[in-house]
Amino acid sequence: MSDGHPVETDPTTVSRRGFLRATGAGVAGGTLAAMLDARQAPAQIRGTTLRILQWSHFIPAYDNWFDTVFVKEWGDKNGVKVRVDHIPHLELPARMAAEFAAGAGHDIMMNGSSILTRLYYKSLADISDIYDAAGKKHGGWIPTAGPLVQVEGRTYGMPMFYILLPMLWRKDLFEANNLKAPDTWELARVAARTLKPKGHPTGIQFSQCADANLNWRSLLFSFGGAESDVSGENILIDSKETREALRFAKALFDEGMTPEVFSWDDASDNRYLASGVACWIHDAISAYRTTEDTNPDVFKNTHIAMEPAGPGGKRVSTSAANVYMIWKFSKNQQAAKEFLTHFVDAGPDGMVQSRGYNMPYLLGQAKKPMPIIGADPKMQILQDFPKIVAFYGYPGPFTTPIQEVVNLFVLPDMFTRVARGQAIEDVVKWGMGEYRRIFAKHKRA
Amino acid sequence: MTGSSLHGGPDPMARAAVVSVPARAALYVLLLVGAPFLFSLYLAVSDANVGEPIAHFVGLENFKAALEMDVFWISLRNSVVFLVVAAVLKSLLGTSLAFLLLQDFKGKKLIRGLVVIPFTLPIAISVLSWKWMYDSQFSVINWVLSRMGLIGQFGTEGWPIWLGDPKLALVACILVNVWRTFPFSAIVLLAGFTSVPVEVIDAAKVDGCSFFQRFRHVVVPMIFPILMIGFLFDTVFTLSDLSVVYLLTQGGPANATKILPVLAYQIGIQAGSLGRGAAIALFLVPLLIPALILVLRNLKRREY
Repeated sequence: MSDGHPVETDPTTVSRRGFLRATGAGVAGGTLAAMLDARQAPAQIRGTTLRILQWSHFIPAYDNWFDTVFVKEWGDKNGVKVRVDHIPHLELPARMAAEFAAGAGHDIMMNGSSILTRLYYKSLADISDIYDAAGKKHGGWIPTAGPLVQVEGRTYGMPMFYILLPMLWRKDLFEANNLKAPDTWELARVAARTLKPKGHPTGIQFSQCADANLNWRSLLFSFGGAESDVSGENILIDSKETREALRFAKALFDEGMTPEVFSWDDASDNRYLASGVACWIHDAISAYRTTEDTNPDVFKNTHIAMEPAGPGGKRVSTSAANVYMIWKFSKNQQAAKEFLTHFVDAGPDGMVQSRGYNMPYLLGQAKKPMPIIGADPKMQILQDFPKIVAFYGYPGPFTTPIQEVVNLFVLPDMFTRVARGQAIEDVVKWGMGEYRRIFAKHKRA
Repeated sequence: MTGSSLHGGPDPMARAAVVSVPARAALYVLLLVGAPFLFSLYLAVSDANVGEPIAHFVGLENFKAALEMDVFWISLRNSVVFLVVAAVLKSLLGTSLAFLLLQDFKGKKLIRGLVVIPFTLPIAISVLSWKWMYDSQFSVINWVLSRMGLIGQFGTEGWPIWLGDPKLALVACILVNVWRTFPFSAIVLLAGFTSVPVEVIDAAKVDGCSFFQRFRHVVVPMIFPILMIGFLFDTVFTLSDLSVVYLLTQGGPANATKILPVLAYQIGIQAGSLGRGAAIALFLVPLLIPALILVLRNLKRREY
């Protein structure tokens, strides 16, 4: 998901992409100005201060726009002094715990990937009103958005954007070897098996990192597997489909990968693609952007594919969710709600500034053509993802036990154990034991 | 001021000072050490979680839950291996470095300054540099070893995957911890060595003691208290070192490098179960107590 290289743009060149971005930014800028003109926040928030804590975006230019243009314009217009602090996304849970313990800190907190609504909802402001209003205004939310932020019928967070991890594949290598595009996991496996002996293996993290949690879930769910039922109470991991997915992953590793994948972190696959070695990877488009900036020849031949289908034709793309919340202890909840309303309205601007990275949860904002990705022939396929997006716990909600399962990397460990040669039955038994133990502890608590 | 008043009795101020100095020290220890420890105990016997303001007493439930986890036992084993191997390596490297720094040579002050760099660098930066050096594809260590013909080429079985092989990954984490903290051991030892009077060493030389005899029978006994305190600090630093493992592997692959502080952080903070996280962290105490007893007993014995 992440990459080690900031994605910079060269201001002196005017490429097709640069032109699209610039024109997109112009359109978005116009939209933003129109929105600012149209909506006037209540006078009570004038003269107040709003503090926001969020991650450091993988596209640094986005943070620059957010801090110096977007937030500033809204603050100036409404007379609110806004301070934005950025920290690495992995540190957000610890900071949230610290602010909760202190009962003080920022007004608005971002949750990235680890969505902690169910842990903190008693200490979060109920923002059902602005969530519902945004849904009405923008044609509704994608079905998987609500369970991220809703507890006991109330809404405690604003889903702002999610990050996709599609297939990024080398069309030149596929074509040179008469391989079909990786539209199914089986075709992806055949490609890896064919191209590995020619020096172009594939790789998915068999390790303890965020991408491993996301990628293996995409494969599992596309194979028809499931993590918990819709109530979030019952574990569904012990299934025929899980066994099939594990068996497939073992074959994919044996035939198409090297042991490097056991050591990979979130940025390793980005580098693998950018170095020209990988025949395909399953990763966020930051990998695509990194390759664009560091290896134009490889980038030219790198294409984005739809989430590969499993044996039954099912496609599920497990994505990294991002949500904004307001602390109940915030003394400026009104300004915080006004800001989040404005922020969610500006989803298309976020897409432009993040170069297509920030995918909207609002159906109206997901209509074709979407900014940036709708205008780029290679990225247009990303517009078809909203209907297959899922999050941790699928088809159930992102509950507190699932949070612990994710943090302890139970599912990637199951795939790793199988890849290392452990028997599938033993692994399923081990994994089921871990799930059961974690769910039981939370039930007792 | 003397200890007696004009009336011949003990000076009330001096008496107050006698009482208040230990009291202040006790208060200091209680606030800075006792309070956090007691708070950890409180958390460990409660169902506290990061988002719940009210916690309930659950007895030893959290400890029981920890003992039921596979990963807890793996983490405990890794913590002990980590501690012992790192301690041995740091002792060897620290002692050697301290002896080297004792010698007279040109640029000694500069070298003394440089050796503490690993200890003073921000841990995030130094560990990320190591992460690059251990990278499966771009590892500078591997490329150098490969060019020297000591390992295979990239893509072959002879190419070590430092952070991907369970045994190598633990070794890699220990090496970074040793690299970071052995200068501290060396500086502690160096301080001890320089406090040994030259006359004593010279007398031992005249008596015909070899280098190792002088070290074993003269230097070590004289710097023993410093050695013990250094050992204690080192044990605490190593056992509670979360950053190296967390930044390098997050405890992977498949928990092969997971140690108790990482597990406590993942469960206590990331997953939000403060009570269970605290209980796991408290399992470090039984590991520390033997070291503490060993140090205190030895120091006490030497007082008589």
